[in-house]
Amino acid sequence: MKNQRNGLVYSAPITLWLTLLFVAPTLIVIIYSFLKKGIYGGVEWIFSIDGYNFFKSSYFLKVVWNTVEISVVVTFLTVLIAIPVALYIATSKYKNFLLFLIIIPFWTNFLIRIYSWISLLGNNGLLNNLLIKFGLEPHQFIYNKFAVILVSIYAYLPYAILPLYSAIEKFDFAIIDAARDLGASKMKAYMKTFLPNIKPGIITATLFTFIPALGSYAIPKLVGGNDSQMLGNVIARELTITRDWPKAAAISTILTIITVIFIIVLSKYDKDHKGGKV
Amino acid sequence: MNKKKFSMNIFILTLVFLYLPLVVLIVQSFNSGKGVSWDGFSLKWYDELFNHSARLWTSFKYSILIAVTSSIISTAIGTLGAISLQWYSFKHKKYLQVISYLPLVLPDIIMGVSLLILFTSIKFKLGLFSIFLAHTTFNIPFVLFIVLSRLHDFDYSIVEAAYDLGATEKETLTKVVLPNLMPGIISGLLMSITLSLDDFVITFFVAGPGSSTLPLHIYSMIKFGVSPVINALSVILIAGTIALAMSTKKIQKYMVS
Amino acid sequence: MYFDVSIDTFKIYIVRSGIMKQGNIKIDSISKSFDGVEVLKNISFEIKGGEFFSILGGSGCGKTTLLRMIAGFIEADKGAIYLGKKDITHLSPNKRDVNTIFQTYALFPHLTIYENIAFPLRLKKVKEAEIDREVKKYLELVKLSEHANKYSSQLSGGQKQRVAIARALINKPKVLLLDEPLSALDAKLRQHMLIELDNIHEEVGITFVFVTHDQQEALSVSDRIAVMKDGEVLQIGTPNEIYESPANAYVADFIGETNFIEGEVVEVEENFAYLESTSYGRIKFELDKEVMVGQYVKLTIRPEKVKVTKSKPRYLDDNDNIFKGKVEEMIYSGFQSKFFVTVGNQLFSAFKQHVDFFEEDAETIHWKDEVYIIWDSADSFLLEVI
Repeated sequence: MKNQRNGLVYSAPITLWLTLLFVAPTLIVIIYSFLKKGIYGGVEWIFSIDGYNFFKSSYFLKVVWNTVEISVVVTFLTVLIAIPVALYIATSKYKNFLLFLIIIPFWTNFLIRIYSWISLLGNNGLLNNLLIKFGLEPHQFIYNKFAVILVSIYAYLPYAILPLYSAIEKFDFAIIDAARDLGASKMKAYMKTFLPNIKPGIITATLFTFIPALGSYAIPKLVGGNDSQMLGNVIARELTITRDWPKAAAISTILTIITVIFIIVLSKYDKDHKGGKV
Repeated sequence: MNKKKFSMNIFILTLVFLYLPLVVLIVQSFNSGKGVSWDGFSLKWYDELFNHSARLWTSFKYSILIAVTSSIISTAIGTLGAISLQWYSFKHKKYLQVISYLPLVLPDIIMGVSLLILFTSIKFKLGLFSIFLAHTTFNIPFVLFIVLSRLHDFDYSIVEAAYDLGATEKETLTKVVLPNLMPGIISGLLMSITLSLDDFVITFFVAGPGSSTLPLHIYSMIKFGVSPVINALSVILIAGTIALAMSTKKIQKYMVS
Repeated sequence: MYFDVSIDTFKIYIVRSGIMKQGNIKIDSISKSFDGVEVLKNISFEIKGGEFFSILGGSGCGKTTLLRMIAGFIEADKGAIYLGKKDITHLSPNKRDVNTIFQTYALFPHLTIYENIAFPLRLKKVKEAEIDREVKKYLELVKLSEHANKYSSQLSGGQKQRVAIARALINKPKVLLLDEPLSALDAKLRQHMLIELDNIHEEVGITFVFVTHDQQEALSVSDRIAVMKDGEVLQIGTPNEIYESPANAYVADFIGETNFIEGEVVEVEENFAYLESTSYGRIKFELDKEVMVGQYVKLTIRPEKVKVTKSKPRYLDDNDNIFKGKVEEMIYSGFQSKFFVTVGNQLFSAFKQHVDFFEEDAETIHWKDEVYIIWDSADSFLLEVI
């Protein structure tokens, strides 16, 4: 009884809900970014591209640059670490147990995980106390770019390990032996057979790291400094403090566009290079 | 094997990296002093956590309330949606596929900001209900994909058999489809509860004054630097999470058998 | 004993003649296309109430589509289907008095065998006591009473199928549809289940529509068979009719194995005619249809009707066709041997059962032997005029 009517009944609740509470808000944001800022906050229904003026401000451009830079560095390092970790787990006898070990910290509250680094990295924190004990100079480990990158890697590592583990688990390691049998060195065998075949896993890991990093708010707010404010913080400030809604909406729209472009580029890359050339 | 040793070393380093801050937290929670240096063993922060933190427990209560309600609703909506995508065709199917995928890949902050702007522009009061709406919204796509992946392996012939033997659509759904889909539905439910309890960013934007969830409360505690109680709370949360994870595994094992 | 589970009780429940009349199916000008490909091309035929009717054909011929259409899972583009007097063309499956046995049995994994069989009755809100009676009765019918509280994952393929049958029959449908029910079973079990199906059909008496690609299955249990190819019905008849009098070369070749002979008609008598074959000469054949001199015709002769001998047989009459040939290949199967003999430029297949009747049969034939092949002209079948 695959008739049209039943399909409509099943799909109605979800379609309605997501349209009202996801699609509509997103559209409203885009519309608001093209309106004029209201005097007391909010908007006036007059067309204006003032919201996008932030492109002219060097401060905002710096923030955009910081956001992209930090996100790229975090993603690169996270995925880089995640690959051997996932490889080790997938090829181990105790894979389920090891996976469980990796996931437990993941299950603790996100803010707690950020907070746990504050007492380590803080100016009166454990790390600095140890340095002093060994007679070394205390160092600024927190409220800067270093802290944001470190804590971000800490936060997103499990997101990268899981999809990579999933992809590696399906990989037939006999292929590497076959490649070596045909004359490739160990390094070459890995580069030319292993990496291309786990590409979907790498792509997913990249996706699940870069995008949350791009939209970071809590991490830069709690452990970041002036050199590491990200787009998320700016949006929040414009919304709640400066009350320049069109600007907040504009930045949010730009962030959305960057994300969507990134997703499209990644999925195209996945499709074009399906087989992986040798 | 060179490669094996290398990856094992990275793995161990990673484990250390992941657990070190948590271990420090746990140790610090028993530190009677406020600072980093060890002042002696004490349970006073736990005492303060349990006996003098009324607002914290209120926010915890709200977190549970919202997690349970939003996950029930989102599981129901998401499950029906997954069924529609797997077995039916309708005009807006492609549209639905897109809008149920996007929330999974867009950063939380975009959803938080857009919901805030939506609520304010229609003069909808921010409070527990707005948090509930937001949580249900971000939970639905997760439930949908979990249930949908279960449906991919679902033997559709038992659905046809049910029709064949005289069942109506509703009877087929309740007596045949849902019982066999239960593991996926439970997975979706648990995932939703977890996401809801843990959410900070979206909740931060759509919460009203006076309505607070545990993550929001933790955030304000961190911002105001009321540190040692947070340590104790962290330990409780970590222990609770592990306990929950263990029991969930047991439940899932039970269901599979 | 609370109830009597003998076969006679069954027959009391099912009033045979009444059910039989209501259980006849009329397929009327049914057509169906998928993605521009015509899967069923204007099909019309009737299935008599109470028959064991098989639809036979290779993959892609449309037989499963047709079956699913009778069940109600697919809607026809054109045409109508009648069950008894009722037009069921647009009825949803749960409203048709037709039940299906699925290829993978489709048992409900979350219910016990008992509950699986009880399922249709629970839908009808039958009283608990009666459900219990009926389920136990059908469990007896399919000989699974001790397994009532098991789950389908604990059963073998054959047992699962029997549960599916009980579950479908408890509804007392007018027609039972079977979609290649034996294909998932191994060879020995298949034969056993086929006999069981036949027995159940005897006991229950309703129409069975059986879809298969295995011509042996169809031949052994059917009252009538419909042979399908590419969305069309090529022939409908009893197993004997289909085998001995195939409508065309495809049917002849699909059912069992056969030899084809082509040639120009050179002489016509009252009951027989002669054709000149290019490879081996004059052949006498029985006139199953009318032909004229000069026409090209195609005959078929079944291998078991072709005799192979080393020495020229003594008992021949002028109705026998006899040719010399060389054994190209032989396949020994214990109870019979298959010979492939070249006569002229054609390869003949002949089956010989190892039963010693005449002296000639006692000879052993070897590969590359020079042999005679003989058949009676009454045994060939005139297929068509080319």
